[in-house]
Amino acid sequence: MQLTFINGSPRPAKSNTGRLMEHFIRGFLETAGNNCETEVLARHRKNLPALAEKFASSEKVIIGFPLYVDAMPGSVKEFIEALEPLTGRKNLPALGFVVQCGFPETAHLRFVARYCEKLARRLGCQPLGSILKGGCEGLDVQPDFLTAKYFSSFYAIGAHFGKAGNFDETLIKKLAHPEHMKAENMLQLIPFINQGLWDAQMEKNKVLDKSFDRPLLP
Amino acid sequence: MKILILNGNPSGAKGDMDRYIDRLSEKITSAGHDAQVLVLRDMKINSCIGCFNCWVKTPGLCSIKDDAREVSRQYIVSDHVIFCSPLIMGFVSSLLKNTMDRNLPLIHPHLEDLDGEIHHKKRYDKYPVISFLLEKEACTDDEDIAIATDIFRRQAINVRTSLGFVRLTQSPVEEVLHAINIH
Repeated sequence: MQLTFINGSPRPAKSNTGRLMEHFIRGFLETAGNNCETEVLARHRKNLPALAEKFASSEKVIIGFPLYVDAMPGSVKEFIEALEPLTGRKNLPALGFVVQCGFPETAHLRFVARYCEKLARRLGCQPLGSILKGGCEGLDVQPDFLTAKYFSSFYAIGAHFGKAGNFDETLIKKLAHPEHMKAENMLQLIPFINQGLWDAQMEKNKVLDKSFDRPLLP
Repeated sequence: MKILILNGNPSGAKGDMDRYIDRLSEKITSAGHDAQVLVLRDMKINSCIGCFNCWVKTPGLCSIKDDAREVSRQYIVSDHVIFCSPLIMGFVSSLLKNTMDRNLPLIHPHLEDLDGEIHHKKRYDKYPVISFLLEKEACTDDEDIAIATDIFRRQAINVRTSLGFVRLTQSPVEEVLHAINIH
């Protein structure tokens, strides 16, 4: 099985999407004869038609991106627009998505997932569905026991995909937990992220006192 | 009311969008509002690169030096912003989406519980109502409009406001003006 992974991260050097997919790909390659090529969208932005042709000649494609304002990043939308001329062409790849966000609840990702599924049908690609994962901002600073759990899930989803050519519903559903959060869990988690992730960086940059500045007011 | 119209039509002459916006802004002005149109394709707006400098290095200001700051500056002092775009592959143009992404400095990195869901805190006291004016593409169906509208509703929550309306350029300009007036 041949897979092209298109990493649509606008920040490819420190891509959370890419880190998760490394483990998917490791699982995918467990099946003998499989091969996977990764294309980093940010490096193709000046020649999107060439990447669109690469897309068209693939057997399976997974497009990955972080959630930007409840949808795909603008740069990923540019690539989707470059796919328009392929619409209805014969032998297009089966197409799936991986979308992650910083918000801990998967509920945030369900809306763009509907768009992704429709996009696959619009192009005439067999839709593979979407792998959705919340809680992915700052993977480097999250405790190892959490990231190890994400990585092993991505590995398992990749391994199943490598054998069966589809996303395993049970594994995808498990990964998508929590869909929503209980109030008491939010109460615990929010200060951890606000102080541990954001204030810590502002403090390091000596701008914590400017945190709530409103520089664009007249 | 100050009404900001963001023209996210990437190809000026093609389709009805530009002419529709001309007529709409005239109507808005005649109705006594302050209408401003920004033609995004004539501005330099790069894609957000997810560096988060606007949150952790220069709070409230993007590090990319281009015209997006001017869009954000006009946005935050408006009462109502109308995002205009032809549908391309079932969603707003990349030109418009890039512009929306670059408004990230307007909100705050901190999270809070907002009606049982986690969202970002406000940076400013007041945010404009957002609405969408879309032009159908040949293959647009009801499902496309429903998917896009649901995403717009989510976007409104995350930019700490409400969704005003979603209309197509097939609607009479008067109907859009009415929808603006009731918000």
